[in-house]
Amino acid sequence: MKLAALAFRNIRRNRRRSLLSGAAIALAALAITFMFSWLSGILGDYRHNVVHYLTGHVRLRNAEYQANERLNPLHLSVAGSRELVARLEAEPLAAAVAPRIQFATAIYREEQTFGALGLGVDFPREEKFMQTAGSLSEGRLPRMGQREALLGAGLAGEVGVGVGERITLLGKNKYLGMAGMSFTVTGLARFPVSGFDRTFLLVPLDTAQAMLKMQDEATEVLLLARQEREAGELAARAGRILAEAGRGEVEVRPWDRIGMLVSLMRSIDVMYNFIALFFFILGTTVIINTTMMVIFERLREIGTVAALGMKPGEIVRLFFLEAFYISIISAFLGVLLGSAITLLLSRNGVDLSRMLQGVDFEVSAVIRPRLSIRSTVLVFLYSVAVSTLASFLPSRRAARVQPVEALRSI
Amino acid sequence: MIRPALAAALLLAAAAAFPQSAEEIVRRLEANQRFRTQEAEGSLVITDRFGSRTKTFLSYAEGQERMLLAFTNVEEKGQKILRLRDEIYLYFPEAEEVVRLQGAALKESVMGSDFSYEDLTGEKSLLDLYEVKLSGRELLAGREQFLLELKARARGVAYPAQKLWVDVEEYLPRRAEYYALSGRLLKTLEVLEVRRVGGRSVMSRAIMRDAMKKSSSTEFRVQRVKLDEPLPKNIFSLEALSW
Repeated sequence: MKLAALAFRNIRRNRRRSLLSGAAIALAALAITFMFSWLSGILGDYRHNVVHYLTGHVRLRNAEYQANERLNPLHLSVAGSRELVARLEAEPLAAAVAPRIQFATAIYREEQTFGALGLGVDFPREEKFMQTAGSLSEGRLPRMGQREALLGAGLAGEVGVGVGERITLLGKNKYLGMAGMSFTVTGLARFPVSGFDRTFLLVPLDTAQAMLKMQDEATEVLLLARQEREAGELAARAGRILAEAGRGEVEVRPWDRIGMLVSLMRSIDVMYNFIALFFFILGTTVIINTTMMVIFERLREIGTVAALGMKPGEIVRLFFLEAFYISIISAFLGVLLGSAITLLLSRNGVDLSRMLQGVDFEVSAVIRPRLSIRSTVLVFLYSVAVSTLASFLPSRRAARVQPVEALRSI
Repeated sequence: MIRPALAAALLLAAAAAFPQSAEEIVRRLEANQRFRTQEAEGSLVITDRFGSRTKTFLSYAEGQERMLLAFTNVEEKGQKILRLRDEIYLYFPEAEEVVRLQGAALKESVMGSDFSYEDLTGEKSLLDLYEVKLSGRELLAGREQFLLELKARARGVAYPAQKLWVDVEEYLPRRAEYYALSGRLLKTLEVLEVRRVGGRSVMSRAIMRDAMKKSSSTEFRVQRVKLDEPLPKNIFSLEALSW
C-alpha cells in the first residue's frame, strides 16, 4: 500500500516523463485498436459483398458448370428453376432465394462493342441480395418480362449511354449460337464495389431466358441463410431437397467451400494478420522502448532510494507499479480514442474509390471500420501487460546495482 | 516423224493438262469455284467437348463479293450474316441495330463453329494476297494433288501461311492447312465430298478443325445447290435483312 502511494507520487512528481511514457503507450494502443477495426471492416465488407453479390450463403449450380465456367456454358444450367426456387423458399432456414443467369455479353452501340458481365435476375428477389433499389443512382429498376436493363454507372459512362437510351446486347445462347437483343436502359446503379460498377449489367431473368434460349433455367440459384452460422445446415437441407427431387446434376455448396473465394479470403486473412502483427510489434517496441528508457534514466534515483534502505524487491515492485498505473490509464485512453475514431469513421466510411479504381477485388470503394469489443479488450489488456512487463527486466537489473555505483554512473 | 506443228500442239496440250506454274494452278482453281450466283441449303455440324449441334442455313452468293447466310434451325431462326465485299453484318430478329463486325470481332467463331467470320470474307484472289509456290505432288485418298505453299505478301491477312492440296484432275481444293506467322498450325480444312452440279464440281461436304480448340470440328454439308440462277432482287442489302 505504501509502495502504491509512492508509485502514484512518482508519477505525479515528474509529469512530463509520465506523460511522455503514457502518450507512447496510448498512441500504440490507439493505432492497434484502429488497425484491428479497419482490417475487420475490410474483411467484413469483403464477406458481405461475396455473399450478397456472388455466392449467397449457399450456391446451387450444375455440377459441371464450375469446371467449364470460363467458357460461359449456359447449357450446364439448373433446369426447372421456378419450381426449385419455390421449394427452397419453403425451407425455414432460408431467408431468401434468388435464381440468376450469368452470361458474358458485349454491348453494341454505334458500331462499337463494350464487354460486360450480364446478369439475368429476379429483381424483387434480389432486394435481399444485391439491394438493387438501394443501389440506384438514376432512373428505375427494369420490370420483369420487359426488355429493360440496369447498368453499373461506370459501365454506362464507358459506353456513353444514359437512362432512356437503347443498347443491343450480343452474346452466345444456350446452344452456343449467337444471341442478340435490344434493351432500354431504365436505370443506372452505383454498386459498392468499383469492379461491379464497371462491368455489371442487370436484365430481368425471364428476358435473359428468352434471349439466351434458356426456358425455365438459371445458371445458379443462391440462398441466404437466416443466420450466417446456419449456412452449412441450410446447404445440407438444400441437398436433401434436391436428392428428393432426383436432381443429382445440381451441386450444392456453402459459400465457405467455394474454392477460389475461400482461398482468397484466407490469403487476405493471413495478409491482414501480418499487417496487424506488424502494428503490434511496432506498438510493443514503442511501449518497451519508452518504459526501459524511463527506468534507465532513473538510475540515480534508484541509487538514492537503495541508499536510503529500500530493498531490491521493493524497488522492482515500485517501478512495476508505476508502469502498471501509467499503462492502465494510457492504454484505456488510447483504446477509447481509437474506438471513438473508429465509430466516427464507421458512420460515413472512408472513400477509397480513387485508390481502388481499376482494382478487381470485391471490396467496397467506401470502407467502414468495424469495432470489435473482443479485439478492443484484447488490445487494452495486451498494452497493459506489455508495458508493465517491459518495466520488470530493467528495474530488476537496476535494483541489483550497488547504490554507490548507481550514483556514480550518472 | 512428227510434224513440227503437231509436236507444238501436243506440247501445248500437255502444258494445259499439267500446268507447272503455281500461279496457273491457283487461277484454274479459282475459276473453277467462281459462279455468277449460288443458292444453297446446308448445315453446319459442330462437334466439341460439349457434344454435337447442327445449325441449318440457306445461303445465297453473287460473285465473290456478296453473300448472305440465313439460319433456319429453331434456336437461331431468322439470324443472318451478310457479307458485302470485306464487310460483315449480323442481323438478329430481336435487335434493332444491324451489327457491323470489325477488328478482332472478325476472328470470333461463327455459331461456336471452327469457322471464323474472317473465313467468310475474302473476295480477293489468292494471288493478290499470297506468294505461291508449287512444292510438288502428293497422293491424297488415292488421288494425285498439287501441293502449293502460300506465304502472305503483307500483314493483315487472316492466315499468314497456307498449304493447299489441289486435285490434279478437277482443280478443286482437297485439303488446306492454315498457319500463323510463327509457323504454328491454326486450322485444317478437309474436303470430304465433291458434287457435280450442271456440269460443274462443287464442294458439298468439308470438315474444318481449329487446332486451338481441343476435340473440336465443324462439318459443312450442302444438301441442295443451284448455280447461276437468278436470285431475289436486293437480297444483299442491309434493308432487306429483316424480310
